Amino acid sequence: MSILECKGLSKNYGSVTALDHVDLTIEPGRIVGLLGPNGSGKTTLLKLANGLLTPTAGELRIDGLLPGKETHGMVSYLPERTCISTWMTVSQLLDFYGDFYPDFRRDVAVEMLKRLNISDSQRIRQMSKGTREKVQLIMVMSRAAKLYLLDEPIGGVDPATRDYILSTIIGNYNPDAAVVISTHLIADVEKVLDDVIFINQGRVVLQSSVDAIREEKGMSVDALFREVFRC
Amino acid sequence: MLGKLLKHEFRATGRIMGPLYLVMLALALCANVSARVLDASRSRLLNVLGGLVIAMFVIAIIGTCVMALVLMINRFRTNLMSDEGYVMFTLPVSVHQLVWSKIIVSTVWFAATFLAVGVSGLLASFRLAYVDDFISRIGELFQQITAYYAINGAAFLAEALVLAFVGCAALCLLFYASMSVGHSFANHKTLLSVVCFFAFQFATQMVGTLGILGLGDIHFVWRFSNMAAIHTAMAASIVSALVYGAIFYVVTVLMLKKHLNLE
Amino acid sequence: MNWQFDGGAPIYSQLVGQIKQGIVSGAFPPGERLPSVRDLATEAGVNPNTMQRALTELERDGLVYSQRTAGRFVTEDRNMIEEAKRGLAAAQIRNFLEAMTRLGYEKEEIVTLVRQETTEEGLQCQF
Repeated sequence: MSILECKGLSKNYGSVTALDHVDLTIEPGRIVGLLGPNGSGKTTLLKLANGLLTPTAGELRIDGLLPGKETHGMVSYLPERTCISTWMTVSQLLDFYGDFYPDFRRDVAVEMLKRLNISDSQRIRQMSKGTREKVQLIMVMSRAAKLYLLDEPIGGVDPATRDYILSTIIGNYNPDAAVVISTHLIADVEKVLDDVIFINQGRVVLQSSVDAIREEKGMSVDALFREVFRC
Repeated sequence: MLGKLLKHEFRATGRIMGPLYLVMLALALCANVSARVLDASRSRLLNVLGGLVIAMFVIAIIGTCVMALVLMINRFRTNLMSDEGYVMFTLPVSVHQLVWSKIIVSTVWFAATFLAVGVSGLLASFRLAYVDDFISRIGELFQQITAYYAINGAAFLAEALVLAFVGCAALCLLFYASMSVGHSFANHKTLLSVVCFFAFQFATQMVGTLGILGLGDIHFVWRFSNMAAIHTAMAASIVSALVYGAIFYVVTVLMLKKHLNLE
Repeated sequence: MNWQFDGGAPIYSQLVGQIKQGIVSGAFPPGERLPSVRDLATEAGVNPNTMQRALTELERDGLVYSQRTAGRFVTEDRNMIEEAKRGLAAAQIRNFLEAMTRLGYEKEEIVTLVRQETTEEGLQCQF
């Protein structure tokens, strides 16, 4: 069963159409890039998958279920902004994730934090923006979820952090899980992706594997993106 | 899961309320000392200082009570209506559990604040001659009342406690509903939340007033004895608080489920 | 290992080329155990499925073999490695000749130029 499936999914905000009859399927074991310019509907799609929004029409299913309490336990979501409580210490944050998510692997998280020299007693409030983002990423990737939804994980970070984030994603790879990376920074992310979905103005413009694009069109996904979304 | 929500709620709120209570209790002790000093000394300076300490103690009490309310409102706003909401609403818990965790924790803190103020009051007036006197007089009065009204007095106390709890919960829900509605809009979230608050307040006052007037029309009510009337009034207040609470609860949950706007 | 990728060719085929180069140059010595797919993928910064595809192709070519529980190993067959080296060299020479022809040089001129370059560096050149 596909881990994420959209059928005729539409979402309107008043008169604005954010998503327009989107059909797509994502299978386990794939790292998928959700690529599109700002305002194309990427974040709306991810929010719908998380049950933070309700569809105007059509449906979205996670492992056959509608988004809700059960799917939250299967989906690990990295929001665009840093959203973890700032008053907590690292150790309290680990408690938090461990308490609510049975699939949270505390040992994995502790190991990653140690490698970044982040101590248990540090308060999130005291950390720099970059460190906070890394902590949030570590929490999200330390869950053994079925579906990872990462909203712009590498936008707004320095190249070294970008490499760190991407190698964390690769290193965490699980053939039973799917990873969806929503971004507009394609060149950096292309090597990590199995498949790509181009989305523009709420519509899916293309869904293909990276290999197929390179073989059939003889260009990188980045180059194809520039062609498809030429201003 | 609700238990875990409660655990983390108490962690988040206790780190503010705890120190406040400690400060209040410490100032209570200081006030006690000051009162004795004021009693005993003739020095102008000591009198002024003593008065200041007692004033600070009173401010601490008021401040703590205000803080309890402010904290309860703000906690809902920062934890569910802003960025933290991205984490909270993607937890494997239902929206009902999220709202209940907030209501329960707020009500507990209101009760705890009440007790803490009581304890500080006792500490501040501990073994001060005239206060002891005052308390024993109150004790006598209370004994007389309960002896005369027996079960009624105790029942009244019980009803008052229930009303306090239900009233606190309903008050919380009034704020939560206002914020949930206000934040569902794209712009002017805070302004609209405040507008909503006053609108809901006004609505409840209106209904309440109409209700009382309506009750007055029911003739047999006037035939009730004093005690029965009091009990009826208490029961009616509790029931109306429950009804308001329920309505605001439904509004809150509906808004959070269908119109959550976490930009 | 210095992993470099460009646009155009599929990444798995570029990986095949780079690992071949690694084997031929001695970065992955004969008989040596290769890191796990995930570790290699992390090192190269690529998708594990892509790395898997590249390794499968290398297995098919015979440069790499896998033992069920022990992992993947570079072949000990030095002839095979020599052949691969020659194959890579031939591809490089083809590219070079194409580029030079595009510049407008004839075959004899190319040979002369090469001899000049290599003699200057004090190397021996056999054509």
